[in-house]
Amino acid sequence: MESGSLILETGEFFKGLLLNKKTQAGELVFNTSHSGYEEIATDPSYYNQMMVMAAPLQGNYSSKRRNWQSDKIWIKAFICLEIQKSERDKKWLKTLEEHKIPVLSHVDTRQLVFYLRKYGSLYGAVVPSGDQTKALDLIKKAKEIRDQDWTQFVCVKEVKTLEGKKKKGLNLALIDFGFKKNILKELLKRVSSLQIFPSNSSFEMVKKFNPSAIVLSNGPGDPKNVLKGTKLVKRLLGRYPIFGICMGHQILARALGANTYKLKFGHRGSNHPIQDALLNRIYMSAQNHGYAVNPESLTKEVQVSQINLNDKTVAGIFSKKYKCLSVQFHPENGPGPTEALALFDYFFENLVKGK
Amino acid sequence: MPLRKDIKKVMIIGSGPIVIGQACEFDYSGVQACKALMDLGLEVVLLNSNPATIMTDPETVTKVYIEPLKFDYVKKILEIEKPCALISTLGGQTALNLCIELEKKKVLSDLGVQLLGANVKVIESVEDRDQFVKLLSKIGAKYAPGVLVKNFKQALKEVESIGFPVILRPNYTLGGSGGGIAYSREDFKIKLMEALLESPTSEVLIEKSLIGWKEFELEVMRDQRGTCVVVCSIENVDPCGVHTGDSITVAPQITLSDRAYQDMREEAIQIIQKVGLETGGANIQFAVHPKTGERRVIEVNPRVSRSSALASKATGFPIAKISALLAVGFTLDEITNDITGATPSCYEPALDYIVTKIPRFDFEKYPGSDDILSTQMQSVGEVMAIGRTFKESFQKALISLEQSEPEVSYSFDEKKLTYPNSERIYYIFEAFRRGYTVEALYHLTNIDPWFLEQWEEIVNLEKKLMSSSLDVNLIHQAKRLGFSDKKLAEIFNKSEKEIYNYRYRKGILPAFYKVDTCAGEFESQTPYYYSTYWGKKELNFSSKKKILLIIGSGPNRIGQGIEFDYSCVRGIKELKRQGYKVALINSNPETVSTDYDTSDLLFFEPVNLECVREVLNFIRPHQTIVQLGGQTPIRLAKSLYKEPYKIAGSSVQSIDRAEDRARFAKLCSHLGFKTPRSALAFDSPSALKQAEFISYPLILRPSYVLGGRRMEIVRNEQELKIYFKKHSQVFSKKRPCFMDEYLDSFLEVDVDLVRGKDWSIVGGILEHIEATGVHSGDSMGVLPPQRLKKEICKKIEQLSLDLAQELKILGFLNLQLAVSHDEIYMLEANPRSSRSVPFISKAVGIPLVDLAVKAIMGEKKSQVQLKEWRPEKIVCVKGVIFPFKKIKKSDSILGPEMKSIGEVMGRDKSYSLALTKALISSDFQFPEKGEIFLSLKEKDKIFLLPHIQDLVKSGYTLSGTRGTADFLNTHGLRCLTVKKVIEGRPHCVDRILSGKIVVVFNTTSENSSIKASFSIRRSCIDHNIPCLTEAHAIQAFIITLIQKKKNKIEVFPLDLYDI
Repeated sequence: MESGSLILETGEFFKGLLLNKKTQAGELVFNTSHSGYEEIATDPSYYNQMMVMAAPLQGNYSSKRRNWQSDKIWIKAFICLEIQKSERDKKWLKTLEEHKIPVLSHVDTRQLVFYLRKYGSLYGAVVPSGDQTKALDLIKKAKEIRDQDWTQFVCVKEVKTLEGKKKKGLNLALIDFGFKKNILKELLKRVSSLQIFPSNSSFEMVKKFNPSAIVLSNGPGDPKNVLKGTKLVKRLLGRYPIFGICMGHQILARALGANTYKLKFGHRGSNHPIQDALLNRIYMSAQNHGYAVNPESLTKEVQVSQINLNDKTVAGIFSKKYKCLSVQFHPENGPGPTEALALFDYFFENLVKGK
Repeated sequence: MPLRKDIKKVMIIGSGPIVIGQACEFDYSGVQACKALMDLGLEVVLLNSNPATIMTDPETVTKVYIEPLKFDYVKKILEIEKPCALISTLGGQTALNLCIELEKKKVLSDLGVQLLGANVKVIESVEDRDQFVKLLSKIGAKYAPGVLVKNFKQALKEVESIGFPVILRPNYTLGGSGGGIAYSREDFKIKLMEALLESPTSEVLIEKSLIGWKEFELEVMRDQRGTCVVVCSIENVDPCGVHTGDSITVAPQITLSDRAYQDMREEAIQIIQKVGLETGGANIQFAVHPKTGERRVIEVNPRVSRSSALASKATGFPIAKISALLAVGFTLDEITNDITGATPSCYEPALDYIVTKIPRFDFEKYPGSDDILSTQMQSVGEVMAIGRTFKESFQKALISLEQSEPEVSYSFDEKKLTYPNSERIYYIFEAFRRGYTVEALYHLTNIDPWFLEQWEEIVNLEKKLMSSSLDVNLIHQAKRLGFSDKKLAEIFNKSEKEIYNYRYRKGILPAFYKVDTCAGEFESQTPYYYSTYWGKKELNFSSKKKILLIIGSGPNRIGQGIEFDYSCVRGIKELKRQGYKVALINSNPETVSTDYDTSDLLFFEPVNLECVREVLNFIRPHQTIVQLGGQTPIRLAKSLYKEPYKIAGSSVQSIDRAEDRARFAKLCSHLGFKTPRSALAFDSPSALKQAEFISYPLILRPSYVLGGRRMEIVRNEQELKIYFKKHSQVFSKKRPCFMDEYLDSFLEVDVDLVRGKDWSIVGGILEHIEATGVHSGDSMGVLPPQRLKKEICKKIEQLSLDLAQELKILGFLNLQLAVSHDEIYMLEANPRSSRSVPFISKAVGIPLVDLAVKAIMGEKKSQVQLKEWRPEKIVCVKGVIFPFKKIKKSDSILGPEMKSIGEVMGRDKSYSLALTKALISSDFQFPEKGEIFLSLKEKDKIFLLPHIQDLVKSGYTLSGTRGTADFLNTHGLRCLTVKKVIEGRPHCVDRILSGKIVVVFNTTSENSSIKASFSIRRSCIDHNIPCLTEAHAIQAFIITLIQKKKNKIEVFPLDLYDI
């Protein structure tokens, strides 16, 4: 163990112990979930981001591959207060090491969260102590791709076809902006066949599959840079029922003519209250997003169907006309609460079958 | 939906006296709920029999009734008050059971009172085994297989199909009362009898034991729209088999994966939706198999509970307040989170710290008891600590217990690891010191290896420290692991002050972080702090207002409980009124004082020198108040005053003068009090010598104790020798034994007074019902005095005030005096608030704490408007509650060592009526006829004779041991002679066990006869037979027995304090 630092683009730094000698840079975000470190680290939405865990204990319940949300660890660094490293069980730490993810522990994460809350999401680098030049270099590099479409880096490279759990049923197209496995799992339960399309697929490719409905997945980065994806969704609109999740929600909103904007420090955690006008209830949701839909920019045909009660931001939209629905949060969970799973059923029962 | 328009007046029932399993956490939740409802402009009527509570202060609600929590009394109050609604879920199992009874007997429907919270349907759906199992099956939840049995025979048959070990759970009881684990058929028979007896419905659930499974609790809230939130997840460090109240617990849960946790969370919400709880909080317990991860539902409590108090303190989510608001119509999204001041209450708190709760046990106070933890709760209090890691939090919690570590290094015994007991954690530490592995300890304890590893890390660092010299990095690391300065001082063979100075030189200082409900995601408004060595020290605190620090009383224990929290809370309110900013330090999660909006600054910290000092350094208060929190802060005052901190009120010199016995005795005789002759001894020979000068009987006790620990009466040389043999390690030249003349059969009184610079006031004189020899905390009492002459009372008051003047008291002074033949003896002076302060305040209608605070802050007579406070139209009797039933094998005989845990107040127009209420509230059974067994010591026989005659006139029959029976027979009362246990069978215990006897009166004095009659008292405890052991208490009981037959009920609301 040696000492290491997190150096921020503002010049501020936080000290800790660098448990492997890896160095990397990325955008810093914090997550307040008590558990779910595996799911978080493997969620493609965290592409190019460094994860600050607000909960102090990490790695405490080992690691199981079945909890992974993709086949890769996407985060650029794992920053926490304490990480499990006993002889009996240090699987999570080892996993991070194997994937060459820098682990900076013993960090005063609460102060770091305060800092990020105050200055908004920032770029930073984890380096062995003192190496500020290297850090700034790395940060510069990490920021280079800022204006690019990040979904292209994480989505499938070609169309993939999967068999659903239903013998007779729907064909479903999943537009992949960086999907989590739990989304796929929930969808496969409800259809007989499913095709996964890269985020830059053309309308014709999707049409050829003759889907009964479209699902737009979660994904990383700024939605306004996802030009091809948005273009695709614009053409799908009105032709197929659409269900969007997280990035999928933002893309759908943009396709419907609305704007998105960057939140100061985003919502990342498992305790965000949602008021849902479609299900007519209030429930907890898992969230992971840095951008949101501007409600004023929505057209009359689109209603705000879900609201985040913490800050009243748009958490979901619905359009009867276009038979589409999307949510900013993660009904598929993993990590996080399971109440919003009902939205999958709502979509299939009310928007797809009613077609 | 906002407040329901049809609700204008609400009644709340409190939980009654402190008992094991139902303690001051219900005062905390009740106060919070009352506050919320009063803020809405509702009229609130409160009923509770416990005068030590803050909720029964007349200002808390519109109207307070301190009356028995029994059907007839509640009914009467409902008839008078006609509230629109009654909330069932805030007063523990006691209130819930009462509400069910009221609903079932149609009282509520007849009077048009709505029941809010859980109703009969909800209760039955979780407490009736058949219904509960059906409900769980519907949602696919699993439970431990079990059978509900209604009698002995059936049980013996059914238990075979389940297989041992089994858990016995009597239906509708509190704190697992009467329950237990049976490992064999023989074991089962004994425990079954007790369990059947304990259940009010004679139903016992026999359940397949989940011993060794991991245990979890979720605190869920639901509103009328069906919105559910899980406020907190709690993991029990002790696996299943230990009552959750007796388990060490942590929050949030640690060893479950997100997936496993979310499954459990989902199931909990489904259960709450299904049981039909319209609004409020509920607690659900789960067991999880350590290897397979299988899950079982253990039980559901559809009400505010002990755990919900802990969850509230652990997260900052005020469960009771929200429950109350939900009950009267609000929904979770309509209620703002007080801590952030911006977000709504429909959220689940995110924690960026770890909370540890450790229960506090006082087994040593109950000679004969076994320190074995099981499914029946036995702890008398608890502490909570917050740290950034488990290790920091856990060690802080251990420190918070304020108990010295047992000397495990000499008495290490592997057996102590194999079953749960109150000292097991220290044995685990010792085992690691001796090289046991995590694996080995897992096999011995079944505690999840994750926790064992954490403890191993602590011990590993301890070893490292032992073999090194003071080093910045090591000390910093040790502080981060929660090592106290005191512990480090021991390790490095330095003084605590030296370690403290070293830390300050090297800049190893704690940071004070906030409990903010959101892990830093939002700005928080409420200054609720904990310390950690994982952060940077922030700037010193600044405040426009002058800050005062009140030191709280730490965990509840025998002798120091809710009464001191009452004083702290009342004191905070008064100081706030005076314009101060008030800070409080305390470690007890059950209290009102640690509610986030009681003080202006809350420090949830161990109440020890180190932590108090750090808080003082952080907030730099104007002054510190040590008089309100009992003996804990008084003890600290002596160390603090040497430092640049100002103690408000009585000086440390005054405190010392009152506690230094020799100086104090001199002072008393100078003032005209008599004092018992006394001397100091260091060992048996010196004691024997001194005894000649004092003469027997004697009271022996160690210096500086609270609650009369190790205090005993010895009547002759023989007993004195035995005493020293038993406690030989306790005494030394440095820590001598006090020997006092024992004032046999004197009348004892408590006096609480307040003295200001140029004014003073006596709160009242509480006359004990029992004679001297019974600890003042264990005696019943009455105010105004019934036996003391007026002029003696006057004289006591004058002498007390003189003493206060002489001691230069500023604030509280509590005195214990004894009177015999018009002579007044001074027994003890405590320069602080006392156990009797809330009782006296309420009995007399004087806001004693407010006045004491004014005195402490130096207000002059012209600023304090003293009136003639002497209403006393109503007689108030204090009843006491003992935990003998819960603490197996303990002896119920009363003596100089305090054993009671709670108190009640009976208020009525005459002594006998008030006494009756007090005894009813103390949960005595009053059989209307039957055989009363007597075994009396010589001098009680004559004294009690007229009362026994009354009993016979009222139709009771008598039996007794030879001496007593002969005496009664010669006085014309028919009394059957029964053999003593040593005289062969069938003897009196056989007769008690056979169910022939309904009441036992048993007075003894010599230690040998106390021992001989133990089985009489214990069999009464085990079979719920009233057993009285002191002559005056017997007299009081007989008065009540006869009074009760008249069955006339009147109730009286408490008057507002006249200020």
